[in-house]
Amino acid sequence: MSTIAKLNNWLQAGLITPAQHAAILNFEAHRPQSVNWWLYSLMILGVTIIGLGIISLIAANWADIPDSVKLGIDFSLLTALAVAIYWQYPNRRHGAWFETLLTGFMLLCLASIGLIAQIYHIGGQWYYALLFWAGITALLSLYARSLFARFLWVTLFLHGLAWSVAALPDNSFRWEETPSILLLTPLLTALLHYLATHVKPLHGYASSLFFWFQLSAIVALAFADITRSSGEMNDYRAIWYLPAYLTAAILAVGILLSKHYRLLNRLLLLAALTLLLLYYHPDLLFTGAQRYALFGFTPHADVSFWQADDIRAPILTLLILFLYAVHAGNSGHQRTFSLITFLIGLRFVVLYFQAMGGLAATGVGLIISGALIIAMAWLWYKGRDRFRQWARGLQA
Amino acid sequence: MNRRILLIVALALPILVLGVDAFMHHLQRANGEAVTLPIEGFDPRDLLSGHYLQYRVDYGVENGCDGYIGAASVCLRPTRGIYPRGDLPADCGLFIQGHCDDHGIFLADIERFYIPEEYAQSLEDKVRDHQGELALSVDRQGNAAIRDLLIDGKPWKEVAQTSH
Repeated sequence: MSTIAKLNNWLQAGLITPAQHAAILNFEAHRPQSVNWWLYSLMILGVTIIGLGIISLIAANWADIPDSVKLGIDFSLLTALAVAIYWQYPNRRHGAWFETLLTGFMLLCLASIGLIAQIYHIGGQWYYALLFWAGITALLSLYARSLFARFLWVTLFLHGLAWSVAALPDNSFRWEETPSILLLTPLLTALLHYLATHVKPLHGYASSLFFWFQLSAIVALAFADITRSSGEMNDYRAIWYLPAYLTAAILAVGILLSKHYRLLNRLLLLAALTLLLLYYHPDLLFTGAQRYALFGFTPHADVSFWQADDIRAPILTLLILFLYAVHAGNSGHQRTFSLITFLIGLRFVVLYFQAMGGLAATGVGLIISGALIIAMAWLWYKGRDRFRQWARGLQA
Repeated sequence: MNRRILLIVALALPILVLGVDAFMHHLQRANGEAVTLPIEGFDPRDLLSGHYLQYRVDYGVENGCDGYIGAASVCLRPTRGIYPRGDLPADCGLFIQGHCDDHGIFLADIERFYIPEEYAQSLEDKVRDHQGELALSVDRQGNAAIRDLLIDGKPWKEVAQTSH
């Protein structure tokens, strides 16, 4: 429903007076209109396509173009964009050009790093290039007003930082060390989000960082759950997790010292953090033995119930989700609370299929499974509000 | 500081840093001592990856890193050998800095050469046939920069144009 339609409804219901109605309409009519997101998106798309065209032209003919000409064109474009951005600065609140040019300039900086690497045959890692790019454009990204430009900067910066930090112990990264990245990313993102919420000039990055924190935390939890449930990760080396452990220690200190959280929230977050670290530790909680079949892996029915990895993994997942859901409900984060409680329900359904997977092969089993999913969805829908009320009540 | 002045700084910073970066690479390539080392493809599947050749540089050291992993230097003169960083012989007159990976290979970030796609296959074949060499520029601090890719002692562009 549009704002005008809502105002009309409120006027008819007697919630606002005709004078207030007219005053609001007058205020809205004289307020500077924000730029339509589709116009902004199209302009960004246009700039990106032009940039890609220039890069393609250079890439297709680069062997025939002298290095000095390639670098000359590149730096001329950068300078022209810089001048245009400065020229558009007074109009930054009323149009899309400032944001479009700013995004174009930042993308061209990234392309310039690639061009220099190509001309001088530099063989460094891509994540160092992203970190370098984020470093030289950090100050400029503070001028971005749109979510897109900030999100772009945060996304590339996070990827560069997480992979570079994960490569720190021996200055190289191997694919078998992927779990270290998966554990490190949500911790690093949480730490940066903490910084962004406490340092005023960085407030604009908070929402992008929170998005990446949630996404990376869910991926980290899902990965640990799947691999642990199938009895893997015991042969991983604890040294891979060293950057993650250091980040977790700093984050824990930040949580303890935070004035934004009550004692209960601090304890909930620290407990969830500890459990996540234990989840990834090679052999503290997990034995490498399974009880039930999952995703085609061979089960070992002779393993005792509490020793089986595919029992301990979902318990740990549900416990971490539960702690975080209580924290989210207690802090009034409605959307996060709904998402986490949905994931708890989903994990219960997967747990059912893990333990009773054979049933799904029969008609009766499918009917029972379908009924169970509906029952779980209904329970989640009905129980969510009670759970939220309970979590909120904890603060009293 | 005034936000407009800060904006000028924010816009000038990337241009200046990138300019200095390109200039430093140019200086390094132009001023170091010229060295030519043979190269070979180390894995037929990965030799050509995208628009660049990947290869292994033959430093003429028989035992490679000899089990050592970490920061290292390869001495090129008077005797060739790979040493952990800091253990380089005092009489070593020319060396390249790099690191030994966990496969016992010495890497100095010069194992990639960008080429146009149209010449990729023929150059890949020649490198695999041990016809390739890398023309390097090495400074006194042991930093190596690629000057050119040589095929049978000739610049790759010359060879590629005659074979097309």
